[in-house]
Amino acid sequence: MVFGPIPNREYHEGHMRKAIEMAELALASDETPVGCVFVHQGEVIGRGINGTNASLNGTRHAEFVALAEIMAKHPPSILRETDLYVTVEPCIMCASALRQYRIRAVYFGCLNDRFGGCGGVMTVHSDPGLDPLYPVYGGLYREEAIMLLRKFYVQENNKAPDPKPKKNRELKTEILPISTPQVATPTVGTPTSEIAGLSLGKAGRAKSPVKAG
Amino acid sequence: MGVRADSKTDSAAGGDRRPTKHMVHVKTKEECRLGTVTIQVWTVEMPSKHAEGVLKVIKENIEGHDAVDLQHLRRFAKPKFLPPHVLGDRDLAKELHAIPRAWETRRPAVLQHPNSRWEWATPGKVPRQENRAPTLYLMVCPSSVIGLQDLRSLLLQHPPFASGADSWAYPLVIKEVTVPRMAPTCLEQAAEWSEAYWPTFYRKTNPFGAHPSTIDKAKNELESPTEGNVSIEQVMEMADQAGLATEKAGLGIRTGCVVVERVDSKTEIIAVAGDARLRLPPSAGGSPVPSSGFDASPDDSFLAEGTEDADVPSVGSEKTASKAKRKKLRKKRNKALKAAEGTESNGCSSGNVMAHAVMRAIGMVGRKRLRVASHMISSAAAKAESNFTRVGLEHDEDARDAFFLDMPLTPLEQEYFQVNNLKPDGYLCLKLEIFLTHEPCMMCSMALVHSRVGRVIFANRMPRTGGLTAETVRNDTGPIGLGYGLCWRKELNWQFMCWEWTSAAYAMEQKARQERHTAIMQQKGRRRNVEEAATVTAAGGEIDDDADEDTDMAPDQPDMDDDDDNANAGKLSFTSVHV
Ligand SMILES: [Zn+2]
Ligand SMILES: [Zn+2]
Repeated sequence: MVFGPIPNREYHEGHMRKAIEMAELALASDETPVGCVFVHQGEVIGRGINGTNASLNGTRHAEFVALAEIMAKHPPSILRETDLYVTVEPCIMCASALRQYRIRAVYFGCLNDRFGGCGGVMTVHSDPGLDPLYPVYGGLYREEAIMLLRKFYVQENNKAPDPKPKKNRELKTEILPISTPQVATPTVGTPTSEIAGLSLGKAGRAKSPVKAG
Repeated sequence: MGVRADSKTDSAAGGDRRPTKHMVHVKTKEECRLGTVTIQVWTVEMPSKHAEGVLKVIKENIEGHDAVDLQHLRRFAKPKFLPPHVLGDRDLAKELHAIPRAWETRRPAVLQHPNSRWEWATPGKVPRQENRAPTLYLMVCPSSVIGLQDLRSLLLQHPPFASGADSWAYPLVIKEVTVPRMAPTCLEQAAEWSEAYWPTFYRKTNPFGAHPSTIDKAKNELESPTEGNVSIEQVMEMADQAGLATEKAGLGIRTGCVVVERVDSKTEIIAVAGDARLRLPPSAGGSPVPSSGFDASPDDSFLAEGTEDADVPSVGSEKTASKAKRKKLRKKRNKALKAAEGTESNGCSSGNVMAHAVMRAIGMVGRKRLRVASHMISSAAAKAESNFTRVGLEHDEDARDAFFLDMPLTPLEQEYFQVNNLKPDGYLCLKLEIFLTHEPCMMCSMALVHSRVGRVIFANRMPRTGGLTAETVRNDTGPIGLGYGLCWRKELNWQFMCWEWTSAAYAMEQKARQERHTAIMQQKGRRRNVEEAATVTAAGGEIDDDADEDTDMAPDQPDMDDDDDNANAGKLSFTSVHV
């Protein structure tokens, strides 16, 4: 996997920090720890955590929850001047929505190797299509984003009436390093397994309404 | 089930109840990709009598001869069932050898059961006098497994290619031919491949999509509903009505979605939604419910962005809504939508993307589930809802609802939204059926995956925006899709069956094809009966009939869907819109 270099990285890390904080708050509330903020001219105009459990709607991802907050005050066109910071790569659905809304850029923490639409599984942000492409920058607070998800899955499995075998309940702390950037492209290269490192029995719980991304 | 049968319908007018459209299952990405993958194999012709011996030699001496699974192909094939290019110019020397001799007096029979592993046996049939020894072609192994020279020297050591004390050597001719790498996914495909490459089995399984029998069962349920249940014609008509209703009200474009639950072949209509992308966004004061009840009027329904947005119609904010004016506004908007089609970067992504019909319908299902949820589920949902406040999110519910628009906006939507016909504590849209006027965009397609739907049927393909179909190009018409095939992707954790609801023209073409096919089969059956009265019979009935397909079928038609594109594209007034 190649995450391209991010110009002015510290600035973007500042915003990603806020997304991480959202994810931390979500984790503390037993909600999937994915957080996001939309930033317009340096200012946060929308924040989101997963809303699928509250709505019994599997599409109510953090990005959409944040968009709802934005649209309460702004016209959709504001998104053309807005950047998204999300702890986990947007899924295919969100990636398409963001493109149709013409988001300016997307910054994320770790790849979403189950549903990712910005390099993890598909490349909706850069495929040929009607709407303009948007650049994607991955790897901001990547380790933190992964650890939050791992903590959540361990937490969930320990809560389950029939907990998974012990090895699945222990928090893995080792995170494989990403390779150094080889090309100066803003988009994400070949997908690899990142959240898969979690592999914490989510698949076994078919009815879990939570979803990353 | 009260089904609205509003004014105009193409089909149900008059006494002619014949459906004008048919369900055609959408190919999966894998089917499209692997359907054309081939592999090179060595073949060799020999007197039938020696087939078993030669196969034994190969099995014992060529390592990896069966490393590639080619069980969808016959191991032995009679020359008359092989395409001409595989036979090539028949060798004169071989013909000379083909005089009756001692080792050729018995004619073997090939018994290849579809479930067998290339086994064959020789039942003791009474030999028939003829002047030419029967031969068989053997598919040796992939040519990557052994080199031509090695194979040649191996075979030359064994009969019939080695000369012995009592017989001449049979001339060894090794040919490299191209065969399909993967198993066919339908009967038609097996027939086509048999004709084009090598006799191919269709085993009524499909590793690249839903099992054919599952598809047939579902199709049958949808097309032949039992008494009192809705038919696919009715639901598709309702989807169109849903889109028509929101369009008429100035809320969106004419695309619609109906969600149906089918339990023990009893149908319930769960949700009906039309597109509402043009409804006034919350930032401009749009509300989640129609201002005047469900007699929706366009007064608060146009895009707020006005002229600021180049690609959206600027229709102003007229507060009056006389019928004439409404019509005029609609005309204007349609014109704007149309104008936007052609211009790149103006794919009519205008308005509220979240109000696509699919997203609205999925949201309605969630709301209905909340309404009937058990205490446990509803308190869990309430707790999750309170998390928004706990993490300090703004909590303007009206604005949120006006954005997602997952509540009814038209009387038709309301009629079905208000009914509590979902069982408590069902999961998302698990196994529900989704009926759509148009192939949904990537966002909506993935939303269907996230929602675990069971079956999806759409009427119009969207070659520039659709996310469900997997075909990308078609020989005659060029690009026909983006190729995402989200309905069945192994990478994703959920797959569902998907059909295109296509026009009569296509269906008739299909039927004609089928009839032609049947005629060929019958003709061939007769011919074979005459020719080989007491000899070879292959096990496997109809499946084998197809594997025996020879040169009668029209060549060069690898894509059986060739004809439907014209029927199903072009009728849209907005081909470049995300639906
Ligand atoms: Zn998402
Ligand atoms: Zn859509």
